[in-house]
Amino acid sequence: MKPALSPDPEPKIALIGNPNSGKTSIFNQLTGLQQKVGNFPGVTVDKKTGTLELSNGHHAKLIDLPGAYSFYPTSKDEKMVVQSLVQPGNENYPDAIIYIADVTKLEKHLLLFSQLKDLGIPVLLALNMADVAEQEGIQYDLEKLSRKLEAPTLLLSGRTGEGMGKLKSMLVDLLAEAPIAPLNSTKYRLAPEESKVISQIQAEFPGYTPYQLVLMAHHVKWLPFLNPNQKALIEQAISNSGFQDLQMQVEETMQRYDQFTPIVQQAREKDSLHEINFTDRLDDLLTNRFFGPVVFFSIMLLIFHALFTWAELPMNFIETGFGNLSTFLQNHLPQHWLTNLLTEGVLAGLSGIIVFVPQIAILFFLISLLEEVGYMARAAFMFDRIMQFFGLNGRSVVALISGGACAIPAIMSTRTISNWKERLITILVTPFISCSARIPVYTVLIGFVVPPTKIGFVSLQALAFMGLYLLGIVAALLAAFVFKLILRTHESSYLMLELPAYRLPVMRNVWLTVWEKVKTFTVEAGRIILIITVVLWVLSSFGPPGAVKNAEMAAQRSAKAKNLNADDTQDLVDAKMMEASFAGQLGKFIEPAIRPLGFDWKIGIALITSFAAREVFVATMATIYSIGHQDDEYSIHEKMANQRDPVTHQLIYSPATSLSLLLFYVFAMQCMSTMAVVYRETKSWKWPLIQFAFMTGLAYLSSWLAYMWLS
Amino acid sequence: MVATSNSGKQLAKMKIGSKGHVSHFTDCCMACKLLSMGILPGTQIEMIRSAPFGGGCYIKADNLLIALRKSEACSIVVR
Repeated sequence: MKPALSPDPEPKIALIGNPNSGKTSIFNQLTGLQQKVGNFPGVTVDKKTGTLELSNGHHAKLIDLPGAYSFYPTSKDEKMVVQSLVQPGNENYPDAIIYIADVTKLEKHLLLFSQLKDLGIPVLLALNMADVAEQEGIQYDLEKLSRKLEAPTLLLSGRTGEGMGKLKSMLVDLLAEAPIAPLNSTKYRLAPEESKVISQIQAEFPGYTPYQLVLMAHHVKWLPFLNPNQKALIEQAISNSGFQDLQMQVEETMQRYDQFTPIVQQAREKDSLHEINFTDRLDDLLTNRFFGPVVFFSIMLLIFHALFTWAELPMNFIETGFGNLSTFLQNHLPQHWLTNLLTEGVLAGLSGIIVFVPQIAILFFLISLLEEVGYMARAAFMFDRIMQFFGLNGRSVVALISGGACAIPAIMSTRTISNWKERLITILVTPFISCSARIPVYTVLIGFVVPPTKIGFVSLQALAFMGLYLLGIVAALLAAFVFKLILRTHESSYLMLELPAYRLPVMRNVWLTVWEKVKTFTVEAGRIILIITVVLWVLSSFGPPGAVKNAEMAAQRSAKAKNLNADDTQDLVDAKMMEASFAGQLGKFIEPAIRPLGFDWKIGIALITSFAAREVFVATMATIYSIGHQDDEYSIHEKMANQRDPVTHQLIYSPATSLSLLLFYVFAMQCMSTMAVVYRETKSWKWPLIQFAFMTGLAYLSSWLAYMWLS
Repeated sequence: MVATSNSGKQLAKMKIGSKGHVSHFTDCCMACKLLSMGILPGTQIEMIRSAPFGGGCYIKADNLLIALRKSEACSIVVR
């Protein structure tokens, strides 16, 4: 633990609400770009924090806690909420709470609010979706609600921004409230067993409210801040008093509903006018037995199409831009190794990063759009049965689809799966789904296997591209099935998923997601890629003392002996010099292991560097081949296409080698960041190592078989 | 509230389009989760449709749309 040097002067305000209450929109409204995503200590539950400027000019720290239905968590996400609010000293323990409830479903959204009221933290009730309520004709007497629920109440909309100013000024009053006298009662009637537990443990926990003590009794098994003595004490109190976890929970919950349901009904002035609404009609189609899956697969097809066609123009633009810049610098800067480092190392690497940005942005744009309109929950519902067959959960669909963008957020999205086995299997197989980092590798290599012809209006290469994705999906499902048979669990599994009403997407939310992901990619992944490309440039430009020079001389002699023309001589010399460098020797070292797959030592270098991240492959190729050739107007694809073995003059990227390499990239686990996330999510190195072994094993086997078959 | 008596029928056996009210639950663990989401004794239930590949159903509980697995739908008794 780090000792706090000075108390944080900014008050902490937590944003809490049920899933689908529109919390994220409000958070984005309040903080805009002033937000950052971190992790809760020890776990990888996303913790979004932002700075909020209050109406009196002061600043407050806004913490967006995961959506939860109650203080009785079923998933890791919900546990975070309990953990942050049960312990008054917790670093996320807020000074005030904004509770977001969907005003169109108010009766269903107040359970957690009523539980929060028992913590003694000032709470403000923000009724979200004011715009929808107005359309549907729903109206409440806010003054009455506020009085009866004992919390300042306002109507707002995360979509239109209505009520944000008022919220900020109400927060000032809420924070200025004299600290509430320590709460020593609960809003509901405690059962005798609960009272007994409280009286037996309260001496150990000074400053805790009775309800916090009750919650500790409920969650004693997993609350991480309890020390063994405290655990023993609470367990003792539970057995002394006859405290029954589930029974107490049900009684408390029913009492709370009985209290606030009449209040909500009395304060409601007008109810919804619409009997059959838009969502019902849309779902008749989108979750239809036949059309539902058809629409789903059409949407997926559309996403691939978009990835290919929309990204092409900006990608070409970026590639030629960097190529021109590199040529320009080479022509205008003095001949020096620093110039070479800049153009062949840094610029080639940067181009290899930036060129992905269009595709990543498009993919995250479309996926967050689907999430935002409420479609993802439908996909989970439709495929739950099939997913169960493979040992997964309907919610795994969301992870598998997001895996198409990047395995890291996808793996983190599995937190909503409460069953450990289903969650673990989802985590283990998600990296099989082709992520955006494989796109450039596929793009570069497909051209060597499949001719650019068209069948009708569908390009053969696009079909092959989709085939690779399908291969990844099939591998993910089969691996999941195998794990289902191997792993054992006694935990029960749930779907129980709320299907949010369809809403037009709030584009601000979508753009913020795209911005955040692109930024993370360029900064986090980009840093690794840049370092690796520079290291690689050094390794491939220098070698053991004298070795590169000797290789050059030897190559020139043998070229003269064979009577080669100038171009061929240059190629031979470049190849021999590369071979003599440090990188060449490293590639040579692993060549025996990858020879059966049809890979030479240059591909070997790319494989080694790709273990940091797949996207490094193209950057590596760019570095390796631009060191050979000075003419930078060629794209990396053309350079590779023209690579021939300097002795046999056969194409290096023959269909056999290219297919073998493609398969290797489909299956192999080549992403350090993913492995780190799997480690954090499973809290053990066992799972990422198992994952690495079976994925890379499968990759090796399939590449070997493909190469054998084609050559 | 959580009982195993035989009055009413399982939600899973409701016909598409039919309506009813929750009577009680037959599984304590599931009851706790359903209660948190707002499915209580007395809540109006409408069976909307079953899942495309079977196994689950899509219900409307008051104005809440919820997807349930068969086992989950079996634990709710409707009258």
